[in-house]
Amino acid sequence: MIKRLHRQGGGDSAQGIGASLTRKEDERFMHGRGEYVPNIRMVGMVDVAFVRSPIAHGHIVGIEKPEGFEHAIYTLGDMEGVKPVVANSGLPGFKSSEQPVLASGKVRQVGEIIAMCVAATRAQAEDIAAQVFVDFEELPAVVDMIDARRDDSALVHEHWGDNVFLETFVDANPDVDLDAIRRDAPIRVHRKLRTARQSMAPMEGRGCVAHWDRRLSQLILHTSAQMPHITRTGLAQCLGLDEGQVRVIAPDVGGGFGYKGILLPEEVCCGWLAMQLEKPVRWIEDRREQLTANANCREHDYDITGYADRDGRLLAVECEAHVDSGAYSSYPFSACLEAAQIGSILPGPYKMERFRCRTWSVATNKPPILPYRGVARTGVCYAIETVMDAIALEAGIEPYEVRLRNLVEPHEMPYDNITRKHFDSGDYPEAVRRAMAAIDLSAVRARQRRGEPDGRRIGFGMSVFCEQGAHGTSVYHGWGIPMVPGYEPAVIRLTPDGVLEVRVGVHSHGQSMETTLAQIAHEVLGIDTDRVRIVLGDTGVTPYSTGTWGSRSIVMAGGAVGRASKELKERLLKIGAHLLGEPSSEVRWENGAVVGRQASRSLREIARTWYLAPQLLPSDVDPRGLEVSTSYQAKRDSGTFSYACHAVVVAVDPALGQTEILDYVIVEDGGVLINPMVVDGQVYGGAAQGIGTALYEAMPYSDDGQPLASTLADYILPGATEVPAIRIEHMETPAPYTEFGQKGIGESGAIGPPAALANAVNDALRGLGVRIDQLPVTPRLVVEALAKERERQARAMKGMPA
Amino acid sequence: MSDAFIKTIELVVNRAPVVDRVEPRTSLADFLREQRMLCGTNIGCEQGVCGACTIDVDGVPTRSCITPAISCAGSAVRTIEGFDDDAIMNELRAAFSAEHALQCGYCTPGMLMTARDIVTRLPDADDARVRLELSGNLCRCTGYVGIVRAIRRVLDARRARAAAPLAAAAATA
Amino acid sequence: MKAATYDYAKPLTCDEAIALIVPTGGMGKFVSGSQSLGPMMNLRLAQPEMLVDLRGIAALRACRIEGETVTLGACLTHAQIEDGKVETGTRGLMEYVARGIAYRAVRNRGTLGGSLAHADPAADWINTMCALDAQFLVAGPGGARVIDGGDWMAGAFTTALEADEILTGVRFARLSPTARWSYYKFNRKPGEFAEAIAVFIDDAARGVCRAVIGAIDAPPFAIDDARDLLRDANPQTSCFDAHLEAAGIEAGSYEHEVHRVALVRAAAAIRNQDGKAP
Repeated sequence: MIKRLHRQGGGDSAQGIGASLTRKEDERFMHGRGEYVPNIRMVGMVDVAFVRSPIAHGHIVGIEKPEGFEHAIYTLGDMEGVKPVVANSGLPGFKSSEQPVLASGKVRQVGEIIAMCVAATRAQAEDIAAQVFVDFEELPAVVDMIDARRDDSALVHEHWGDNVFLETFVDANPDVDLDAIRRDAPIRVHRKLRTARQSMAPMEGRGCVAHWDRRLSQLILHTSAQMPHITRTGLAQCLGLDEGQVRVIAPDVGGGFGYKGILLPEEVCCGWLAMQLEKPVRWIEDRREQLTANANCREHDYDITGYADRDGRLLAVECEAHVDSGAYSSYPFSACLEAAQIGSILPGPYKMERFRCRTWSVATNKPPILPYRGVARTGVCYAIETVMDAIALEAGIEPYEVRLRNLVEPHEMPYDNITRKHFDSGDYPEAVRRAMAAIDLSAVRARQRRGEPDGRRIGFGMSVFCEQGAHGTSVYHGWGIPMVPGYEPAVIRLTPDGVLEVRVGVHSHGQSMETTLAQIAHEVLGIDTDRVRIVLGDTGVTPYSTGTWGSRSIVMAGGAVGRASKELKERLLKIGAHLLGEPSSEVRWENGAVVGRQASRSLREIARTWYLAPQLLPSDVDPRGLEVSTSYQAKRDSGTFSYACHAVVVAVDPALGQTEILDYVIVEDGGVLINPMVVDGQVYGGAAQGIGTALYEAMPYSDDGQPLASTLADYILPGATEVPAIRIEHMETPAPYTEFGQKGIGESGAIGPPAALANAVNDALRGLGVRIDQLPVTPRLVVEALAKERERQARAMKGMPA
Repeated sequence: MSDAFIKTIELVVNRAPVVDRVEPRTSLADFLREQRMLCGTNIGCEQGVCGACTIDVDGVPTRSCITPAISCAGSAVRTIEGFDDDAIMNELRAAFSAEHALQCGYCTPGMLMTARDIVTRLPDADDARVRLELSGNLCRCTGYVGIVRAIRRVLDARRARAAAPLAAAAATA
Repeated sequence: MKAATYDYAKPLTCDEAIALIVPTGGMGKFVSGSQSLGPMMNLRLAQPEMLVDLRGIAALRACRIEGETVTLGACLTHAQIEDGKVETGTRGLMEYVARGIAYRAVRNRGTLGGSLAHADPAADWINTMCALDAQFLVAGPGGARVIDGGDWMAGAFTTALEADEILTGVRFARLSPTARWSYYKFNRKPGEFAEAIAVFIDDAARGVCRAVIGAIDAPPFAIDDARDLLRDANPQTSCFDAHLEAAGIEAGSYEHEVHRVALVRAAAAIRNQDGKAP
């Protein structure tokens, strides 16, 4: 029996902006009533299992179907009229490729789908798939992004002539003489850094159920997705339907982090099959598919040099960066977004005189890259913060001191940095100062000097960064990718009994928007959040939006809900004034009611009047009634800049190479926080993923392109013993350009940890003459580096060449 | 189902007797989700590592993804739906909500099963022990901070209630 | 990842179980907890045509201590051992080891015998039984037999068990009241399979001083006389390296480093007399 929820927290207790209101979403999740895609049941539904490529690169020579099951197996040749997935960027030089929805001719990654098998159950579909035999002519696999650029490399897309989706070049402040800096800078630090390929690994994988609705003449796709309207556009294009014939419904989504911001070939296949069979078709991604076919993020290579004066003040930074972008350009973000981003954000929150950065988005025989929480910022933070620590060492100052000497200062805000990023507001140095106080740096240094009885080595590390979120039209139109975020809509309306229905186009996959957007409505209208229903995820019912990505939802959808609520309030005031018989100028809105000299009319009463007693309405009442449809742009759409300082203390066991996090402090500024509890949760969760990036997560590939971590026993996700009790402190500098001063902060937690932890481990190991320049910092890396150093010292002592 | 090996299975699910037909290869998780329409139990890895599928079999937390349904014939199975009215589970739910111990909710049913096991089996657990006991339940959203705090809340409340009768007795002595 | 199809039976006696497995001609498998076999079947790495479930056989849960000999039934769950539900006669060693196996939900169903028959070198019981110098009790169509510990594992995931034989239990000498033990496991995080295991049993009253190097790509390596390791406090001493090399671990490798650390720390735990590894 579904019990009617009776929540505490209604009535007088705080529900507006700034309240740590407990969530409306919790009830159904905690009773196991979440409506995730795998829970959808439809009469006649059939299950799909895909035949996936066991090799990374090769020509398909033949496909043999098992006898008796030919009718249950589909290849690209069966899918007449279905177009490949194409996601081009408008950036000059971008090389176009097509991703067929089922491989034909060539396979370009292990796990690429080749055939679709359908049966009454998933197990039976897998039985059929196991009997499909694909004959290949294997080609050498392109596995390393640096090697991929060599002239003798095999080609992922032959018609390109090389393996580069896009090369970008940023040369900022060219009038400043870089050669002179290179020659004369007192401090020069150079690092070659590598980050591992990762899998975002939300707890729920992807999946869809597709069916054709005969009455509506619509393909309805239920899918675990972050951007339903974008999926609709891409799906319609691939299937040759108009968008009115496609409806995408994302129900409850079990985590996304960017993993579900994509149009999948599997979705196109299921959509097509549903129309063919006139039956609901289901495909649920299992963990092996998720790991082996879709480890699709984070793999960067940096060759970075920082130049500074004797005091550690930055003169210049130059860098050559590669991003392993995989075999195809994923829709809609494209293959080049992340590498191109590096060029514009590598300077971080710092001032400098000169900056040069060349990047390559490299095609390899691996899954197509997707923007994982933080996108390029995580790798960029690792690169620049490693350089800053190195500069501090050379200058003989503490890591935090070199930051303070280079951070943009509060009196300079808003600040246009060297790559013309417009930092909106904040006090970056204060975040650093507070973090150092919270971590008690002097006590940490004293402990380091004392040494540990168990022989472990204490290390301190930090990172500071700013996170651009909710950047809009002016930033994205130049990218030329298949979407450009524009005005963000909200459609709100009151029911006859005074409940506010809010429809927005963003979609929650854990961000608590059913609660936070209701808080915004409450802030403006005073309506109890229990009486605000947020409708998300269904293109048939919600207004068009590019969806949830890039930490944009609370700024954009929040702004839209705020604006719509304000407009609704004006209409309610007008009607209420009339019902009170007073001029509009004499009444005010208070606690969800129009209040006059002696009487008031509640929101509920006014709603009732509109719907059930229109004879009482003013003759010049706004005919748009109690439904407001509006859209929102920030005052300036260059994005909000939340920022944070991460400070961490570790203990490294030099014998086993294991790192334990002893203390972790985050001082963050997300502007005005709509719900501090929700923000904390986002930061904790992001930081846990960052810890995974720093210490645990890697999808290694063999020389022939085989992903080597195929289960969660091999691909190590941080658990409750790996993530410490992180301490968070808030600063709240309002954002100048947003509706309520809020900033996007969803990705922030995932950006800082790899830099802070790598710096901490290197701080711990410095006395042993060892430095780790890649992620994750595994025990094996530490042990091998220490062994190598001992060997070098032993040889040196014997007078032998190192 | 056209499997020649199909068997009749009799067991108790959420306190109700169930008779059904099942292929031996069907996991307990799939049996519950696909045949009994109990979708509260989520599947995360089908390797027994992530813990999302954890349910109660014969009174103890059990991985439903690597346990064949047929091997549970004669057992009493309780899914998250079967704990709707359980007092301890509801105390945990209130704590989970208060401490923001869930975001997307996918790991939550399994997490609650393990949490209930912790607070009943290990009443004196400290935070380190709580974290160790949670190592078999992965969450990708919360960073575990809220989950540990929620379990701590319930452990402390239960310990205080257990001590209270003695305190009352001492007060009147 | 759904398993390939198979038939299933749950007999009440060992004889019944053997009678069910023999006609499968090696294509059937015995199963108890299915916590090791389940994951492999879901990946279709194991595709038995029939599973014979041993959990209904009461005799396989029987445990007894007769004099100085402990016999433990194969279908004991890890949780039963962890919770001290049976007397293992190991002065807390098996209870301690049980607590570190996988996760509680897995321990509630996984069994001692299932883990030993699976024979993953990085699992805990295979190394613990080696340290205890246990014998493996087997029942088959030809009757019962006893396999010496050293003969149990032929290689990773390979045992001396024939396809139609059941591991019914293990048997070992009970530890004396003054015995000391240590168990050191190195893994990336709790519940994961080990990268290195070292076990010591120092039972002077019975003249036993035995160590095991485990989680190598081979059966556990037993050190029959580990006294030199306990005597020497200096981890750089060649006797540690000699044992590691005898175990087939390449000198100068990462594996050599972590196994040496495990062995050194397990030895130090004995010398510290606290009985457990740090």
